[in-house]
Amino acid sequence: MNAEHLEEAKRLLTAFPGKSSALIPILHLVEDEFGYIPEQEVEVVADLMGVTTAYVEAVLSFYSLFHRQPTGKYLIQVCRGLSCHLCGADDLARFLHEELGVERGGTSDDGLFTVEEVECLALCKDAPVVQVNLEYRPRVSKDDLQRLIAECRQGVAQHA
Amino acid sequence: MPERRLLFEHIDVPGIEGIDVYEREGGYRSLRKAVKEMSPDDVVKEVMTSNLRGRGGAGFPTGRKWSFLPKDGRTRYLVCNGDESEPGTCKDQEIIYRIPHLLLEGVLTSAYAIEAEHAFIYLRGEFKGGYLRLGRAIAEARAKGYLGDNVLGTGRRLEVTLYLGAGAYICGEETALLESLEGRRGMPRLKPPFPATSGLYDLPTVVNNVETLAAVVPIVAMGGAEYAKLGTKESAGTKLFSVSGNVRRPGNYEVELGKVTLGELLNDLAGGPPAGHTFKAAIPGGSSVPFLPPDKFDTPLDYESMRQAGTMLGSGGVIVLDDRASIVDTSLRLMEFYRHESCGKCTPCREGTMWLEQALRRMVTGDGRHGDLKTLEGLMAHIDGQTFCPLGDAAIAALGSALRLFRGEFVSCIAAQDHPLEEVAQ
Ligand SMILES: Cc1cc2nc3c(=O)[nH]c(=O)nc-3n(C[C@H](O)[C@H](O)[C@H](O)COP(=O)(O)O)c2cc1C
Ligand code: SF4
Ligand code: FES
Repeated sequence: MNAEHLEEAKRLLTAFPGKSSALIPILHLVEDEFGYIPEQEVEVVADLMGVTTAYVEAVLSFYSLFHRQPTGKYLIQVCRGLSCHLCGADDLARFLHEELGVERGGTSDDGLFTVEEVECLALCKDAPVVQVNLEYRPRVSKDDLQRLIAECRQGVAQHA
Repeated sequence: MPERRLLFEHIDVPGIEGIDVYEREGGYRSLRKAVKEMSPDDVVKEVMTSNLRGRGGAGFPTGRKWSFLPKDGRTRYLVCNGDESEPGTCKDQEIIYRIPHLLLEGVLTSAYAIEAEHAFIYLRGEFKGGYLRLGRAIAEARAKGYLGDNVLGTGRRLEVTLYLGAGAYICGEETALLESLEGRRGMPRLKPPFPATSGLYDLPTVVNNVETLAAVVPIVAMGGAEYAKLGTKESAGTKLFSVSGNVRRPGNYEVELGKVTLGELLNDLAGGPPAGHTFKAAIPGGSSVPFLPPDKFDTPLDYESMRQAGTMLGSGGVIVLDDRASIVDTSLRLMEFYRHESCGKCTPCREGTMWLEQALRRMVTGDGRHGDLKTLEGLMAHIDGQTFCPLGDAAIAALGSALRLFRGEFVSCIAAQDHPLEEVAQ
């Protein structure tokens, strides 16, 4: 973890009535920084929490937002909940897989995009729904996704 | 049939997510009234009188739940369940994202009522945006003295802590939520003891849904007796219904319970089926309840009527299917969900959902086997009432009704594979 996150992690240790509650927020810090939970960070977190690495692994493996493999700069989560399914979510997922050349859950070769199909995102009234880095994109079409991909690529190019 | 907006009264006011506009529209008057003019017990009494029932799915009377807290001087906690992961349900999302101060006021007022100094709002991990909005709301409210060590100069302490989950439907179940909030795998706890006696960190805890706690604000404002006049005797007040799927105007609609039928909600408010199509069925209470066919759409939307019609009001997430939707494919999609979300603690749910999914996938992909209907029913019998928490029963509620209402579709899925029709149908 970087210094800032480590500082925040230490603050979290005493932020709750019980220290055990700090584990999930600390894992969020790691996931935010690396885009996944690297092996060496599991040890850092275990040390901070005063628990075994096995304990940390057991907890993080329960939750779908913690990844064990690196993810792309943009995590695209396509909702396949029933309402989105009824409104064409499968087509969106297929489109992304083909457009970015990734398998389900896979990351594009340039490391920019990870595409996942996820369960109901609690915005069913605006189906089909996609989240990009946990931000909602309501009522998305293939054209929207095409634009989104272009914007992401451009954004990265501008930063470089 | 008109909407009746209490929770959503000011939702369309520009800037309502900020505290200044929220206050201008009457916000924080209920909290002020509660802490300045009422004792905690007075507030509990108003909620009892209001007949408010929990909006998270089970419909348990909120005042009664609050009264179960032991009076033994131990620290108490209020936990707001913002896990909203029931497919088809998106009402809490709209409260959290668009009127965060309403939720915060409800949480603070309720914490005061049950004499908890510390409340937690547990949000599903995908509500990161809502987490940030609520974080801002808390900072604004603190600056105005609505929470902190000396609430509105009364000397009372009220604290609110936000907690972000990390992706797991089962964490909506209240004891799994508490496990997750304590930093563990979100696996349900054995009940009893119930959270009221042994909840968060083994201390007395009330867990309530987002919409439930938001409803405490209008209840305190108008008085429990006035609120109880809305809706029906058994199902009081207003409720948010999320309408989604094959419908023209999907959205969250707030109506008085029991005053509007499912059909009126779907046709008058939500605009009816897409052009050129007809409704085939609806799941009225989130994906964990039985289907209703169109000939039952005249059922009023309240807890009792829905139960009599063979289903449940649940979370109020109404998913509607039109004539294009396949019931077998829909059943498969739902079973994939429950298989994926089964926490694995007990065998009937962990294994049963997997086998059910496999059998349904065979049918959808054209490999349905002779005897698969019996397989489905046998597996469901092993889950029904046999699981550690209600997720098991939730997983088979829609499927069980689908097999009764649309048996022919399952049969033809298998019969398409050249099995003699009459044998398959047995
Ligand atoms: C599998 C499962 C998932 C649940 N998910 C939620 C949820 O997302 N939100 C919620 O408020 N209640 C959910 N519940 C119900 C809670 O256990 C609990 O009854 C509720 O939060 C109590 O609040 P209420 O009385 O205000 O409704 C779920 C229950 C089960 C069995
Ligand atoms: S019923 Fe399913 S979710 Fe509930 S405890 Fe058993 S395995 Fe876990
Ligand atoms: S089904 Fe996609 S948001 Fe609920």
